[in-house]
Amino acid sequence: MIVGASCRSRLPPFHFKEESVVNVVYLVSVLWKSVKMLRRVVARGLWSGHGAVRTSVEQRNKEIRTHQDIAAKLLVGWRSCDGFRGLHVTPSCYKTQDRKEMLASMPVKDEGTEGEVTQGLDTSLEGSGGMFPDEDTPNLLCDGVRFADLPILHARVSKNNTMLTLTDGKGMVKLYRSCGVEGFKNAKKGTNIAAQATAISLATRALNQGIKTVRVKVSGIGPGRMAAVKGLTMGGLNVVSITDDTPISFNYSQRPRKARKL
Amino acid sequence: MGVGPRHVQFVARTVLVKKNNVEEGMRVLNRLMGKEGLLDRYRLTRHYEKPTQMRRRVNFEKAKAIYNEDMDRKIALVMRKNRLNPWVGSA
Repeated sequence: MIVGASCRSRLPPFHFKEESVVNVVYLVSVLWKSVKMLRRVVARGLWSGHGAVRTSVEQRNKEIRTHQDIAAKLLVGWRSCDGFRGLHVTPSCYKTQDRKEMLASMPVKDEGTEGEVTQGLDTSLEGSGGMFPDEDTPNLLCDGVRFADLPILHARVSKNNTMLTLTDGKGMVKLYRSCGVEGFKNAKKGTNIAAQATAISLATRALNQGIKTVRVKVSGIGPGRMAAVKGLTMGGLNVVSITDDTPISFNYSQRPRKARKL
Repeated sequence: MGVGPRHVQFVARTVLVKKNNVEEGMRVLNRLMGKEGLLDRYRLTRHYEKPTQMRRRVNFEKAKAIYNEDMDRKIALVMRKNRLNPWVGSA
């Protein structure tokens, strides 16, 4: 039993330290200031929202003289959300707008399909300057070799990788290069730079083997679609034709996986 | 070429390239395939399209086609005038 102790004190005796008191006082003052600030901000937001709503509605009503302008009248309620985000109006008005902005700000996917959307008149395709094959094309001679016997370069393109296979006219594989084989890893494989580098490497190897002229077969959509074929010419190969062999089905043979939720 | 009854190889969906002008050839190919709707079809098949989504898309396309047809007719009507050169600006 402690002599002189009050009945209340079950707690250990409180030592009066100046530092701790100062700390406590400081904390309390900060908290109080922040509470006051928050209150001010909220109030301003509410009041500005309210006030602005009132003023904008009044303005709009003054502008609309005729009662026939139904569309404009309908817009009044919507427009009241314009320009100021009061706390109470933010969620509902801005959902679609924010979503559109978010989708627009996302980086554009490179699918290698340049020229898909062209503005301007559709040129007539009569003859088209010998751009399209006809019944004589298989017998055409390119560098002394029949077109139908030329080696084929299969470019299989996906959004994550590009794979190039060089075969002879019949389909026997001679060379195979892909972005992974080149040394690119993971996400870097799915770039046009990687596809170009792969194509250049394959072109040099093909030239070493004595293959100079080639017809290209592209399959799929992705960054390497344009870049791989460009890289072949940069590497020195002679490209005679480009065919598209993307597997297009109108009913799924194998059900693909479900779509990503954005 | 592609899934199902194959098209004739190196004849269908083919563009002959002159003087290694690969970019031009690729652009022509992409344009033709885009116009046909083949590239969009391919993009659709990457993920499964639920029947409800398919119905929504098909109905939207039907409505769009009707609108486009009527708008084209309107434009053709408006363009029809007695002029020396009705198609000013084109070759």
